[in-house]
Amino acid sequence: MIEKNNKKTIILWAGLAVILLLIPMFVTKPYFLHVIIMCLLWAYLATSWNIIGGFAGQLSLGHGIYTAVGAYVTVMLFNTLGLSPWLGMFIAGAVAVLISLVIGFPTFGLRGAYYALATVAISEGVIVLINSIGDVGKFHVGGAEGLILKTVGNSWAAFQFSSKVPYYYIILILLVLGIIAAKKIKDSRLGYYLVALREDEDAAAAIGINVRNNKLIAGAISAFMTALGGVFYAMLIRYLEPNAVAGAVSMSTQMVFMTIVGGAGTVFGPVIGGILLSLVSEFIRFYLGGQLMGLHLFVYGLIVLIIIIKQPSGIIALFDKLKERLSREQH
Amino acid sequence: MGFLSVVANGLSMGAIYGLIALGLTLIFGIMRIINFAQGALLMLSMMVSYWLWAATGINPYILVIIVGPIMFAVGYICERCLIKPVLDEQKDVREPVAVLLLTAALAIVLENAALMVFGADYVMAKTSFSTSTIALGPVTVSAARFYGLIIALLAAGIFYLFLHRTQVGCNIRATGQDRNAAALMGIDVPKTYAIAFGIGTALLSVAAVVLIPFYYVHPSVGAVFMTKAFIVVVLGGLGSIPGAVLGGVIIGLIESIGAQYMAATLTAMLVYLVFLLVLFVKPTGIFGSPYDW
Amino acid sequence: MQNTLLELQDLTVRFGGLCAVNKLNMKVNTGEAVGLIGPNGAGKTTAFNLVVGVYKPSEGKVIFDNEDITGLPPNEICKKGIGRTFQVVKPFGKMTVLQNIMAGAFVNTAKTQEARQIASEVMEKMGLQSKRDKLAASLTIPERKRLEMAKALATRPKLMLLDEVLAGLNPTEIQDAVLLIKSMIKDGVTILMIEHVLQATMAICERIVVLNYGQKLAEGTPEQVTGNEEVIKAYLGDDYA
Repeated sequence: MIEKNNKKTIILWAGLAVILLLIPMFVTKPYFLHVIIMCLLWAYLATSWNIIGGFAGQLSLGHGIYTAVGAYVTVMLFNTLGLSPWLGMFIAGAVAVLISLVIGFPTFGLRGAYYALATVAISEGVIVLINSIGDVGKFHVGGAEGLILKTVGNSWAAFQFSSKVPYYYIILILLVLGIIAAKKIKDSRLGYYLVALREDEDAAAAIGINVRNNKLIAGAISAFMTALGGVFYAMLIRYLEPNAVAGAVSMSTQMVFMTIVGGAGTVFGPVIGGILLSLVSEFIRFYLGGQLMGLHLFVYGLIVLIIIIKQPSGIIALFDKLKERLSREQH
Repeated sequence: MGFLSVVANGLSMGAIYGLIALGLTLIFGIMRIINFAQGALLMLSMMVSYWLWAATGINPYILVIIVGPIMFAVGYICERCLIKPVLDEQKDVREPVAVLLLTAALAIVLENAALMVFGADYVMAKTSFSTSTIALGPVTVSAARFYGLIIALLAAGIFYLFLHRTQVGCNIRATGQDRNAAALMGIDVPKTYAIAFGIGTALLSVAAVVLIPFYYVHPSVGAVFMTKAFIVVVLGGLGSIPGAVLGGVIIGLIESIGAQYMAATLTAMLVYLVFLLVLFVKPTGIFGSPYDW
Repeated sequence: MQNTLLELQDLTVRFGGLCAVNKLNMKVNTGEAVGLIGPNGAGKTTAFNLVVGVYKPSEGKVIFDNEDITGLPPNEICKKGIGRTFQVVKPFGKMTVLQNIMAGAFVNTAKTQEARQIASEVMEKMGLQSKRDKLAASLTIPERKRLEMAKALATRPKLMLLDEVLAGLNPTEIQDAVLLIKSMIKDGVTILMIEHVLQATMAICERIVVLNYGQKLAEGTPEQVTGNEEVIKAYLGDDYA
């Protein structure tokens, strides 16, 4: 019985893998491939946020800081020094980790809401900062005008491609790695510790868990992963507009929405939420975007509102219920 | 402008920040929910006040008699129809993140609804005192801001008395301290939640009527005040009423004094810098205790 | 010659003007089961919290296993070998029973497989195997109390601090729990327990310490303590002495 199920799962996954690998062959219109790429990017970003927000239950509302750090650091290093983004992304990731520690150190010792509010305020501060800085030494930041990636044509070393297809495969790999990382963390000591401290910090400390350190570790991993998402965003869009890369509405809250809508603290919830909400948002923008100002965001907000009211534990809980019903019917 | 006038301006803006933060801190103190729709609800209050003023020409300050109850009803209904169902479902979840996200989604809905209905225009209630000034000894202040300061402080005082001198206020405080014990004492906790949310929203109507004579209203005006209110409550200590007022005044003063001596973006940075400093030195804020929540 | 596992020296803590624990001196020997009793508000739980580092003592020392552990944070103290349960149980609600216990077992191993092994053994010992995959939030009170002990036991403590693990149980459940605690003692765990259910405490403990107003009122075998006039006064008032 168990073996049969295992076989079924393997076939299911293999089928999914083949479909994902073949998508660029069927989706030939750049617009549609771009939409799919954005879906995967959001799924990846939500997965990254979930490490600290879902597993550890620390409500970061400023993850836009990390996408911005990833994007800006990589582009600045490339534009000014010609450093390959493939290397730049690790420097960017390291900077993001450092920032996460600086933010986490004073706030993680406290409980709950302070962290959430602090992240909002800090990320707003970062946006003001980016908007007001023109140059740092010889590095051009661009201030409110934004920062444009120097284009060099089709080049693997420069992470620049004339076709959307390489971007698709890169983000697919990144997402798969992100999911594997999330799964590994969830099944490891760190994962158990994070969920434990999310449920009760005192009880967690009583069984030997160093609450603050584990939060810091989770925050750092999440920041690193998010920064890599920011790098990908920069390479794909090639233009960094401060409010789009770091903004609360466009970045930080989106990751949270997607994770909650999909199912926080689960491995696949954020993926489902990320893909679903970005599809919804793109679909609405496509059909309602040109019409009445504000209409498409109004509808988007309404849809999120309804999903949260109807399914506060996330869409993945529906799957669990379905599975339970199926197994009950089999018996 | 003389230094004292700058201080006076800062005080009045700060009192308004404090008023907005008061609603935030009340809702958090009672329900443990950060209301991300606070900014959008402020915008709604300002829109309603503005249109009432434009339609009737009545002094905006008097309009609070109408706008206050409207906003109370809006808050009460929001709590009952949107927040309560989710809160009930998430009873055994320690941090009701879904509720918080719900308020964030509500903010998006409200802002864009305003955009659809009113457009992206900037409007202001140009009253007789909008541009006039008052001389208080050596200090000259904008009349609208001066009245704003008085009314905001008055509202904060009335709110304080309400919490401490009335039965409903007592129920609210009891629920904030221990919702289970409050329920055992016969307090209708869900109803108290709705009332607290309603009052937190109604406080915004006061901020709205004092703002519209000198501050432009537009669909995203809420976002500006929202972040300030967050900083204010963290500065003052989450859930603390004097903390909210004091935090507001501090931010208001930093802004107005800063704006006098440096570039606007630097002033904005200064606010965040002070915020970060407080966060590092006393992370629970001026009146906060680390063990409260 | 018994050796001392835990020793409190002049342990004192003040909250504002209130002296919740006042110059408390006591010892717990390896392999012993000691009961800590006293009227409500006597400072029993506060004393526990001082030992495990939730509060830092204003004065005095906590010596565990010949080491001064005064003022260490709770997680460090757990690693030294002191497990504790909470009076108001604190299960990790969204984790299953097995996962709850595993979270405790991870103190001694970083490997998930090993932690599962340790946790399974503890789970069986505590009679929770039938609840293995149930969410902790769905457990009944007696089950939660057992889970609370199992979580602490999985950290492989030398000393276990039990804070009213029998409170709220019916007589049959108390009997079961007493057997569980006795089996823990047999496995070599030293016990210090706060308890209001005196009969059960006497069945388990060889020695009892009575606290009142943060001070030690009496100490001795269960018989000595229950015969002590001061103790009766503290519990029932002057009229009964």
